[in-house]
Amino acid sequence: MEAITTTGTFFDGISARPRPVTLRLTFRLDIVGEDVARDWSLLDLRAADAAAPLMRVNHAHGPESVEFADEAFAQALTARCPDLNRTEGGSGVTRLVLWSIAAGLSVLLTAIYGVPAASGLLAPLVPQAIEAQIGRSVDGQIVTLLDDPPLCNEAAGRAVLDRLTARLSEGMALPVAPQVSVRRHKIANALALPGGRVILLSDIIAKARNGDELAGILAHEFGHVAARDPMRSVITAGGTSFLLSLVLGDLTGSTVLVTVGQAAISAGYSRDAERAADAYAVAAVKRAGGDGAALAAILERITDADDEKPDGISFLRSHPFTAERAARIRSLAGEKPTGSGILSEAEWKSLQGLCPEPAKPEKTRPNDGKSPTPTEKL
Amino acid sequence: MNQAEGVPSPAPARAGEIAFDRRAPGLVGIVVKGFLLSLITFSIYRFWYITNLRRYFWSRTVVAGSPAEYLGTGKELFLGFLVALAILVPIYILLFVIGLLSPILATLAAPISFIGLFVLGQYALFRGRRYRASRTRWRGIRLGQDGSGFAYAGLASLWWLGTIVSLGLAFPFMRAALERYRIDHTLVGQSRMRSTATGRSILMPWMMFYIVALLPILASVLALLAASGFDVPTDLLIQDPASEKSKLIFNPDYADTPLVYYAGAVGIAASVSIPLALLLIPYYRARETRTFLNAAHLGAARLNSSLKARQFYFPYLVYMLALIGFILVLGIILALLVPLIATNGENAGIHAFVIVSTVLLYLGAILGTNVLYVRIVSVRLWHAVATTMQIENLPALEAVLASTRAPASGLNEGLADALDVGGALEIGF
Repeated sequence: MEAITTTGTFFDGISARPRPVTLRLTFRLDIVGEDVARDWSLLDLRAADAAAPLMRVNHAHGPESVEFADEAFAQALTARCPDLNRTEGGSGVTRLVLWSIAAGLSVLLTAIYGVPAASGLLAPLVPQAIEAQIGRSVDGQIVTLLDDPPLCNEAAGRAVLDRLTARLSEGMALPVAPQVSVRRHKIANALALPGGRVILLSDIIAKARNGDELAGILAHEFGHVAARDPMRSVITAGGTSFLLSLVLGDLTGSTVLVTVGQAAISAGYSRDAERAADAYAVAAVKRAGGDGAALAAILERITDADDEKPDGISFLRSHPFTAERAARIRSLAGEKPTGSGILSEAEWKSLQGLCPEPAKPEKTRPNDGKSPTPTEKL
Repeated sequence: MNQAEGVPSPAPARAGEIAFDRRAPGLVGIVVKGFLLSLITFSIYRFWYITNLRRYFWSRTVVAGSPAEYLGTGKELFLGFLVALAILVPIYILLFVIGLLSPILATLAAPISFIGLFVLGQYALFRGRRYRASRTRWRGIRLGQDGSGFAYAGLASLWWLGTIVSLGLAFPFMRAALERYRIDHTLVGQSRMRSTATGRSILMPWMMFYIVALLPILASVLALLAASGFDVPTDLLIQDPASEKSKLIFNPDYADTPLVYYAGAVGIAASVSIPLALLLIPYYRARETRTFLNAAHLGAARLNSSLKARQFYFPYLVYMLALIGFILVLGIILALLVPLIATNGENAGIHAFVIVSTVLLYLGAILGTNVLYVRIVSVRLWHAVATTMQIENLPALEAVLASTRAPASGLNEGLADALDVGGALEIGF
């Protein structure tokens, strides 16, 4: 094999002093210079990263290295050294990518299936005092999100509401006595929060035609309280958002994905919870002597028709379609009872006066899915 | 062969040049590959991506004829990150639970966690630097760093406190003190580097930045505080009752008080000074970098930098222009897509196509900005710092001996990544 020579610099790896040498490449690499004489096997050479024409070659078993700037020599060396660009341990990008995807999918599946299941088990274990604290802070968040709507506390209406609450929750196995608060807001909605808190937005009272309808709404929220859905939802939202942000890391734009993913996940979970709460509400209203089917009527009234078309974002809805729900409620409620309903005409009148100032009651804005907070809506 | 000048002369040069090829061939490939693989691996690949970037920049930086070597691996960074997560996750959960459970502690939790994470961040910065130093080799000699991360974090926290108390006047002294700590604990082989950086040497550029950018805001805020007897009414800014959004307006109740003039002054000062501050940051950074580099030495070998401020402005200018051009291209593509949505909104196929192309456009935009940033800003800043630097009295550097110290572990940098404080490429590391 023909010998190629070039000049280079030898470093002993002990001092930074450069030593000019002559490199001679045959079956081995001879390095000869003033007080330097090395004879390296071509199997022991490892190239370091460097921009051509500069080349830096380390010896695999020792600190010594040579540098030279000769492209022809570099090519010859590359052709003759089998392990020149070998990295110890191997890089294995394909394996790394596959394992990473597997790990990411495993965390994703945990977020989608594991966390809701775990939160179902954990929610009943949360001590009452802690749940009350959480409820208080969630309440504060919701109120801020709704632009601080004022509380409605007209004494007569309040008394009726308290009696209604007591009658409805009588036969229910509620973990805590529910605390119902009414706030003036032009969205017809009601929310259940951890710690047995229920927020009624005044427009839902305005939209209700009789006491049974409002009782249905209230009992539906109590159904969530009984199933500990709000607590479960808080734990699920916290867990999934934590896991998703962990998986998606700090790659740009991942927050959007996290939010969408979280909404999709909690929607899948709450459809079942909604059906259960509906059934709970029908039973409670019937027990209290009212018409269980009234819930179906008010649900249909407050639902915007446009909202019902199954479209691209239907998987994000946190509530089953109203028509389907109403049909289920009616079949559960059966015959309309003969009584006058839960509330007398006079009681219903004073309950309607709970939020005295008419805050544009005619304006219909049943806006669902507006707040991204972990709560149970209607 | 083709090397007439490649023959090393028996008497080596007295001054060492530092070279870096600004054309950076092959860098775009690393960025594109790194971005796409990070995307499909849930960003786990980023550790290997950062490693590839560093290997590229290190190996293309040729100091006195010899390239630097980066010896770190992605696996080390990844393991370090996992360990840091194991430490940080319980802390985050604890803070979250405290905030949720106790409203009284919740108000304290935010400042406490901010301070805690700041100190931890300084610690992580120093430790990350230790990792990078110990993975850097030149002519077979490893660099290193000793000193204590906790000591550095304590020093940094105290100096920051002093800076805040002195209304920012102590800032250059803080920078110099921290630079001295970092450089004085940096080792090349067995030899320790030293820095003679002083706050006074960067006082002038800082005062210029301070007077133009910070002083008007500080003065007007102080005037506002003084006028209100150091008790600014909390309802000075209220939500605009006219609009539904939570837009802040000046409370009309205070319209007749002198407060309105001072508050107006704060607004004007901020609107003038903040853009000026942004414009002056590269100037200050360039001057500080040059001063600190000039203050560093290793025995008799000294660094000598002739960095110009305009070399720091130029990359950002080019980057801005490139971004504008890039956004224009994206806008044109989007403009072509919009009529499709408008005319065929109902068609499911078109619908899917629009969604897919929007996602692709979004990812393409992020990839494009990443490539432009690394290609323009990182490369040009690195090039500016490296090529304006010279090593005086090179033979002193060539006399350094390798150390038998064990290299620092990869766990050092994990915390920095988990806290998001460690930049992949720190100029002048």
